[in-house]
Amino acid sequence: MRAKVWCVLAIVATASTRPSVSAAEPPQNVDEAVAISVELAKASGPRGQATLAAQADRIAAIPAEWIVPCLAAVADATPAGGNWLRSGIERAVDRTGDSLSADTLAAVVADRKQPARVRTLAFGWLKDRDPSRADGMLEGMVDDPALDLRREAVEKQLMAAATVNEAAQKATHRKCLAAARDIDQIERIAAWLSEHGEKVNIAEVLGFVRNWRVSEAFDNARGVGFAKAYPPEASLPSPPETAQWKAVASADKHGAIDFNASIATKKGVLAYAVADVVMPRGGPAEVRIGSPCAISVWVNGRPVMSHEIYHASEAIDQYVAAAEFREGTNTVMVKCCQNEQTEPWAVDWEFRLRVCDPLGTPLATEALGNDK
Amino acid sequence: MIGTSSARGGKIPSCRDRMATVFGTLKTCRHVESLGALRRLAMMLTAVLWCAAAVAADWPEFLGPRGRGAAMDSAIRTRWSEAEGIAWKADLPGRGASSPIVVGDLVVVTASSGVRQDQLHIVAFDKASGRTVWHRRFWATGRTLVHPTSAVAAGTPASDGKRIVALFSSCDLFCVDLAGRLLWQRNLAVEHPRSGNDSGMGSSPRIVDGTAVVQIDCQGDAFALGVDAASGEDRWVVPREKVASWSSPLPLTTPEHGACVLLQGPHGLKLHRVADGTTVWSWKGECSAIPMATESGSMVHVPSDGIASVAPKGGDATPAWKSTKLSCGIASPLAWGDSIACINRAGVLGIGDVADGRLRGQVRLAGSFWASPILVGATIIAASKEGKTFLVSTEGAPKIIAENELPGTFTATPAVADGNVYLRSETTLWKVATP
Repeated sequence: MRAKVWCVLAIVATASTRPSVSAAEPPQNVDEAVAISVELAKASGPRGQATLAAQADRIAAIPAEWIVPCLAAVADATPAGGNWLRSGIERAVDRTGDSLSADTLAAVVADRKQPARVRTLAFGWLKDRDPSRADGMLEGMVDDPALDLRREAVEKQLMAAATVNEAAQKATHRKCLAAARDIDQIERIAAWLSEHGEKVNIAEVLGFVRNWRVSEAFDNARGVGFAKAYPPEASLPSPPETAQWKAVASADKHGAIDFNASIATKKGVLAYAVADVVMPRGGPAEVRIGSPCAISVWVNGRPVMSHEIYHASEAIDQYVAAAEFREGTNTVMVKCCQNEQTEPWAVDWEFRLRVCDPLGTPLATEALGNDK
Repeated sequence: MIGTSSARGGKIPSCRDRMATVFGTLKTCRHVESLGALRRLAMMLTAVLWCAAAVAADWPEFLGPRGRGAAMDSAIRTRWSEAEGIAWKADLPGRGASSPIVVGDLVVVTASSGVRQDQLHIVAFDKASGRTVWHRRFWATGRTLVHPTSAVAAGTPASDGKRIVALFSSCDLFCVDLAGRLLWQRNLAVEHPRSGNDSGMGSSPRIVDGTAVVQIDCQGDAFALGVDAASGEDRWVVPREKVASWSSPLPLTTPEHGACVLLQGPHGLKLHRVADGTTVWSWKGECSAIPMATESGSMVHVPSDGIASVAPKGGDATPAWKSTKLSCGIASPLAWGDSIACINRAGVLGIGDVADGRLRGQVRLAGSFWASPILVGATIIAASKEGKTFLVSTEGAPKIIAENELPGTFTATPAVADGNVYLRSETTLWKVATP
């Protein structure tokens, strides 16, 4: 008897390892499909995901002509919702094959009012169906708001320039330098121009703020200083004033402000840096900072971001946060904390900061005369 | 062909061996009346059913079945190159340090692509032909900065034979079925906004007793999470020390606590019951942040300053032995029978006695090793970053019996199933033909 029970259990366990096959009922019409897509796009949290999976199955069953209307729901999608919707729609795209026409996709790609993610997906599907048409569309996309499309368009122009004379090549590279937003692409173009006699100031092109006033060092042994407001911070929101500020101008190509050089190579310390940046107009902008050290940032006395992370990365634009700026001069203050790690790669005590629009276009102009 | 004879100390017990053990226990159990004994029996039965579900030929997770690095297979081809002994190769849609897994008829690989590495891929290839069976793509919802030597697709997916869970450095956890349907997702950086590591996260998930376990060790929001593998809902969450590590949960079953996972951080080990996340044992001591502990003979062997061997029970913090002659670089140690092997930072493979840590022999391999060594029969497979895969005999003194080179950069640990070796470079998945 007991042996029979084990056998049954074993059979059940083996049977349950087979993949489930879903037979989802497709939506009755495009309106229902769009409504399901909107619901999927709102998804959040771990509960009730079996329902979402079933709804994604229904989207996977839609006909080709409903794909683009459903895809529009990505515009307002939550992080989870975007992926639920994408999972269903891409299955529909795979299933319908060439029924999803290149004309339909080209229209989506050309419509700059559509979200960048939607247009980039559509471009990928267009490439699968009609590579030469997709390639042709890149001609007018060097200023595209979808960064992945812009990158491809810039790349195409650079490739085409390889076959023309040097003067034309230089003109193309200058145009591409102005259009490119990806750091690696900008650096590649700048290197080409430099090799061909045109010096490019990378820090200026990327819009790094290079003129700062740097404070004295304060205690950060065992990380105690990160949450402690030393005088420059304690005086906020008033402009920080101490007698200890020292003017520092970065000559680094990525605008690094190096406290080891401007103060001393120390561990378990922190320092503040203040800069005046001039904005052509008021409104929101992105503060982008990279630092291997723990950092906090204020704009005009208001806190913008704070990251108590040490020596994980020093990537440009490592941390990005939106801040409200006013037209004209704004005060940006950075608190940069060094810890007590002893590894050779944990020596750097620096940051690099720029102010951009969401595409990475530098907005702030350099404000000199920081040696107050 | 290699691996047909026994390694010193014997091979890892096969599925059949485990079944025999359980049926032996069943026989004994006629005389056992206590509930505790029945519970233990039930746990052992669960292990057998798991064993049956994850078919013997599968390589369902990081370092293979239960993360021990040992293949059920006993023989693989000894010679291969781009021109010889390759069953098929497939282009991958992006970068990755994650290993392939083999589940039923599928070989599954994760990858990330795009300038910002924010396009996440789970791709299933037909095991026989290398044809793409399905390809799911997702947007990363967390941070995608990683060190250039790593990738957003660094953690190896895991499967229980019915579903596949994949964890990316962006702290996105996706669960798909074997047909590629998204069953659930957890955007852990959305739920825990300060989780993640800009050097890259490298931990691989596990599925143990129906619970998907992930280890998010970082300087921000650090935690371990047990998720119902069927629904994606929390079973438990426990906070972790706010310090980075790249270790993965190691499944362990103990007589006292049943199915558990061992979590390794830089300052110690914690054993959690899978059912509810309860910490049932902990050990304080310096541990490596990257290579993860392994287990054999009811001892846990922890990469530290060398290797420390610890019993995962009781309050005694003293290791049974410590050896600085056995030392791990990035690759995790491999334990089987009465042996333990490590590859150090200089690319030297050492084999020692698992009972006392005594070094029995070593052999210098060439290159750097990010991939962990695995065992097939009596042979260790060690894949260097530079593309050389060494086959090392463990009979007597360790000896290189073959060196096979493929083009590309290899940081992923190989997989073995049905006598085939699967090697993943940054751009390509290679299936080495059977002997």
